[in-house]
Amino acid sequence: MPVFRKVEIEDPSKLVFGIAKHPLSYGLGLKIGQGEVVPEVKFFPKAISEKDEEAFKKEVESITKDILDRAVELGVGSLQIETEQSFMETKNPRLVAEVTNIQKSVMEKYAGEYGIKLGLRVTVADIRDFREGLRHTAEYNLMLEAFEKAASNGADVLSIESEGGKDVFNYSILRQDVRGILFSVGLLGPLDMSFLWRDIVGIAKRNSSIPGGDTACATANTAMRIAGGVRSMNIPHTLAAVVRAVSASRSLVAYEEGATGPGKDCGYENVIVKAITGYPMSMEGKSSACAHSSLIGNIASACCDLWSNEQVENIRLFGGSGPQVFLEILYYDCKLMNRAIALGEQNRLRDMLVSSDKFEDPQAFVLSPEAAVEIGKAIVSEKGYYRRGISACFKAVELMENESNLRLSPPEKRFLLNLKKVLETLPDDEDEFREQMCKAFYGRVQTFRERDYWP
Amino acid sequence: MYEELLARLREAIVNLDLDASKSLTKECLEKGIPPSEIVSKGISIAMEEVGKKFESSEYFLSELIVAGEIGKEITQMLKPYLKESEIRKKGKVVIGTVKGDLHDIGKNIFGMMLEAAGFEVIDLGTDVPAEAFVEAVKKNSPDIVGMSALLTVTMGEMENVINALKKAGLRDKVKVIVGGAPITEEFARKIGADAYGKDAVVGVEICKAWVEGKS
Repeated sequence: MPVFRKVEIEDPSKLVFGIAKHPLSYGLGLKIGQGEVVPEVKFFPKAISEKDEEAFKKEVESITKDILDRAVELGVGSLQIETEQSFMETKNPRLVAEVTNIQKSVMEKYAGEYGIKLGLRVTVADIRDFREGLRHTAEYNLMLEAFEKAASNGADVLSIESEGGKDVFNYSILRQDVRGILFSVGLLGPLDMSFLWRDIVGIAKRNSSIPGGDTACATANTAMRIAGGVRSMNIPHTLAAVVRAVSASRSLVAYEEGATGPGKDCGYENVIVKAITGYPMSMEGKSSACAHSSLIGNIASACCDLWSNEQVENIRLFGGSGPQVFLEILYYDCKLMNRAIALGEQNRLRDMLVSSDKFEDPQAFVLSPEAAVEIGKAIVSEKGYYRRGISACFKAVELMENESNLRLSPPEKRFLLNLKKVLETLPDDEDEFREQMCKAFYGRVQTFRERDYWP
Repeated sequence: MYEELLARLREAIVNLDLDASKSLTKECLEKGIPPSEIVSKGISIAMEEVGKKFESSEYFLSELIVAGEIGKEITQMLKPYLKESEIRKKGKVVIGTVKGDLHDIGKNIFGMMLEAAGFEVIDLGTDVPAEAFVEAVKKNSPDIVGMSALLTVTMGEMENVINALKKAGLRDKVKVIVGGAPITEEFARKIGADAYGKDAVVGVEICKAWVEGKS
């Protein structure tokens, strides 16, 4: 498996939408990262009750048809559909097999009839109950079975938003406890992912699916959501930016265990991961306002290879169903980016997307191509998950401190100074840090157990 | 002398310095300051100041929570020296994200802010079925039940919980507050909740008003 010791994309000008150093071809003729940004549509069915499987299957089939009908109407040439499972689905691998099969059959029909290039990503829910443990539990085995059923029934790409360390993170983020955040995102998350992704990659290989990637949705996006809008004072936005930087060292682990991209949309850290790995990435931004708000709507698209809407409910709007409407929005965003590539103007458009957000919020700032490459370099310059996490933190702080155009309020500046002080007190040694943190969180976070990460 | 020590304690709490707050509390006890005064003239005043700093956007919500935790920890140190009436909680709240919904950010913030405000919080977690809410009310006799949902497809579950509380004869014994992205004042009224918490700050104010008998 690759261990990244240097970034694959060193020159920020090469970190741009639609072009990946290590592109992919899969599914029904789909090409990703080969000079074209492809829309990726994700939906949320209304019928999620376990009591009515038939209604659920019918709805997913009809959503898939709706999306593809709109794609045909618009003349979409390439498209990826993502099915993100609910707990109800993952807990029922038989249903996963049936639903994946239904979707893929519909997609094959449209690909055959209209020549549209298609891919299906299936994201399995992390259904593990922290009280029961994270490894080899009944839930863990169900997750693997769900992956197996999805892969063997036509899923082209396998993904997950794994949640290792989330309990410690939840405890830490609302207390702005930097040590706890680093422990959860920088160490527990990677250890859990390393274990989990070996199994996922094995399943993907056996079934000729693509092991896509993981995201720090459970942690970094939680920080982003808590941070809120420009006027929100829930947590420092500089803290959310630092969490994002550390989360790149976490999400990288999937690729070091054999994932090859395309990374999953809600990993806003994917721009840093793309700089490190050169793999294509799916991203979401303004297009995901249907699911949640963010302050990084434009900058998030600057380096994407797939452009996603996060998740839209299957409700009726004036312009069609939610998934249809959002496919159309994504498609026109992609058309603009692809036109820019065709004209050789991709960097100009990218720079406009970046500069429109970059200095508005620290969370956007750390995702600019320049910052992404710097943070990526800081991560791979260190060995070991913990050291990589600290390195990402320091680099993010340094970049924010040294950027005079970044608008930071006095409380943000005060926090950044305190954060730096805390970082400077951290031990160099991972074992020492582990011992300190296990002692600190054992009992305080009821579900945290050392053996889930160090069996 | 006492006043200077109490001022230092207040300063330590406002500066969110747990270690200093603990050692100053210890010092206050050693110097013979009555524990009830450490609470009233030290902790409570400091907490009010932190609250004002939050309201004036000088402090983050997370800092308000940290201050609440410091207050809780040093009150714990004083517990053996305080009378039962002096350490009584403001009220008891059972909270949870309703069945089918796994989103917990808003619920967690609400819970932590309630704790910081002096409430005892029983957090049932996420994906909580109506029966679990009923059981928790039976077991803990809370003053308030708080429910959260992020999805439009799960918000209807809140009504099921209220109906289950009615069926179990418990509805009149608790106040019910609901919140979450898709929830509105109108929805809360329609399902028979007592209040809608637009956000955690508003939610806590409503709960405080309830237990203080202001509404």
